[in-house]
Amino acid sequence: MEIGLGTYLALASVLFGIGAVGFLTRRNILLQLMSIEVMLNSVNLTLVAFNRWTPGEPGAWNHHGQVFAFFVIAVAAAEAAVGLAILISLYRLKSSVESDSADLLKH
Amino acid sequence: MTFDIDTMMLVGPLLTVAFGGLAMMLVDAFAKEKAELSVVSAVILLAGASFSLALWFSGPREVEAGMIGSYLAYDRLAHFLDLVICGGAALASLLAGGYLREHRIERGEFYVLLLFSALGAMALVRAVDLLSMFIALETLSLGVYGLVAFRRHSPRAAEGALKYFLLGSFASAILLFGISMLYGATGHTSLAEIHQVVAAGEAAPTLLILSMLLMITGLAFKISAVPFHAWAPDAYQGAVTPASTYMAVVVKAAVFGVMIRVLFIAFGDESLANADSGWPPALAALAAITMVFGNLAALVQKNVKRMLAYSSISHAGFLLMGLVAAWKLHGGSGLSAVLFYLASYTVSNVLAFGSLILVGSRGKEAVSYEDLAGVGRRHPWVAVPFAIGVLSLMGFPPLAGFFGKYYVILAAAEAGGGMLWLAVIAVLSSAVGAYYYLRVIVFLFMRKPEEGAPVAVPMRSGHVVAALVMAGYYVLRLGITPGAYLDLVSPGLDGATDLDVSVFLWDGGIAVVAGAIAAALTTLRSGASDDADEPAPAPAE
Repeated sequence: MEIGLGTYLALASVLFGIGAVGFLTRRNILLQLMSIEVMLNSVNLTLVAFNRWTPGEPGAWNHHGQVFAFFVIAVAAAEAAVGLAILISLYRLKSSVESDSADLLKH
Repeated sequence: MTFDIDTMMLVGPLLTVAFGGLAMMLVDAFAKEKAELSVVSAVILLAGASFSLALWFSGPREVEAGMIGSYLAYDRLAHFLDLVICGGAALASLLAGGYLREHRIERGEFYVLLLFSALGAMALVRAVDLLSMFIALETLSLGVYGLVAFRRHSPRAAEGALKYFLLGSFASAILLFGISMLYGATGHTSLAEIHQVVAAGEAAPTLLILSMLLMITGLAFKISAVPFHAWAPDAYQGAVTPASTYMAVVVKAAVFGVMIRVLFIAFGDESLANADSGWPPALAALAAITMVFGNLAALVQKNVKRMLAYSSISHAGFLLMGLVAAWKLHGGSGLSAVLFYLASYTVSNVLAFGSLILVGSRGKEAVSYEDLAGVGRRHPWVAVPFAIGVLSLMGFPPLAGFFGKYYVILAAAEAGGGMLWLAVIAVLSSAVGAYYYLRVIVFLFMRKPEEGAPVAVPMRSGHVVAALVMAGYYVLRLGITPGAYLDLVSPGLDGATDLDVSVFLWDGGIAVVAGAIAAALTTLRSGASDDADEPAPAPAE
């Protein structure tokens, strides 16, 4: 089997799907955060794969996809920091990391 | 790569706020009087707004795309939205100056987060590349997550922040997946180049449709359009009220700004945007359910802040309708209607949220409608701005909100075709909305509080009063004589203009001076009548 753009895209879609399903079904906030990371990494894979197989002649290539992936990694780290801070503040008040424990706000 | 002075001028407003934010962190470390930080941050933001106003009038229009030009735009759309964002953020930080002191949760981080988040918002409205757009959007969002979680000892704040954060970063991931698809389909990240590739028919159609779907979903989350709105009421309710104000006005203005660029430039081609398929019908449907659902859900709320949250959801529906109308009219009066709506919505919301802050004091906050009962009789000077704010949100002439709604509905009717029914839905749903806005006024002026029920006691705060006076001035200014501001957003955003900058400088000057006088009077009055009421130093944390 030849490994080409299609293979990478298939893998990225599967990863994105796993992340999305994990985010929606898990009730542990840490696992939900990890699911988001999986989704972001699937995006990175897509970006880099698209960059590698950009249509057009070699002279017209750009490296936007690869550079974009670095920015995504950096932003994901910042997002994780904020997310964990919020998680800790919730844990201090509720002694739980289940998102179902956050049930005060209803109409 | 050139760093000449012209290029630096173009990002002057951004640099002002960025360096202001950095300086703020230093000032915070040494300042003893934290409430004055709110004034400092308001001054920084107003300086950014003045810079943008100057650029609107005399900024260079032709700059070679270099280091900055290919990532950030420098057109009048961006400069106008800067005014809305900086103005809204400055008023929110003044509100915070009063609110945080009253509730003894005064910490300088609030203003730093607010400044950096406003920086993200300003970068977002000028993003013309997917990369700058993504980074700006995250800068904006990360700051707001922090603002929502600001009250660390409140389980409600932590919960609101958690919900906002989880759904927000889920939406970011979806948006990002859409961005990567768009990059894959076209091979470019610059919106203009994407447009060229799409127009030439060289983009892979499946990827393109998929990316459009994902990106619109991601952005709809951020503007809290139904059915992606679930986080909004909880986050608004859990957050400290100045942070809710900031979310309602600045986040919405910034994301609508970037939506204009993404939809009209990257997805602006006929093959992706026409009356039967593509994004306009999808957005029109989203607008319809957002308006109807937002207004209906607001009817049954008992908490005033949740009501204002649902009201801001329904306003997002009006703005979406304006976007579709703007596309049908090829920019023109539709686009100016959306921009004017954003400005009027900002000042009206600051007035409503700000009055809600002023009505309550420590331990005696106004939460439900019942808490407002009879306030109008005992404290008319608090109730009157509240009434003006909700009337303006409702669209009562001659206040700012009336002309906002009027021009958006007019643009939809002008666009004709399927947009007519959308205009009808808009009129009907705003008639429904009148019920819950008027309910505030009924409770303020016509109800007597029940025996023994907890009743809100207004706070005394020069900061909050100053913000209310400024917002109130603009609500009346945009409502009674909107002419000059309509020209500011009029079609041909980048053409020659015979507008005079002095009008806007006068307005800004009058608002600031009136705010300062009102603040001084309030401080003097409270200082004379109850010296003992000075807040005790906040407990060390």
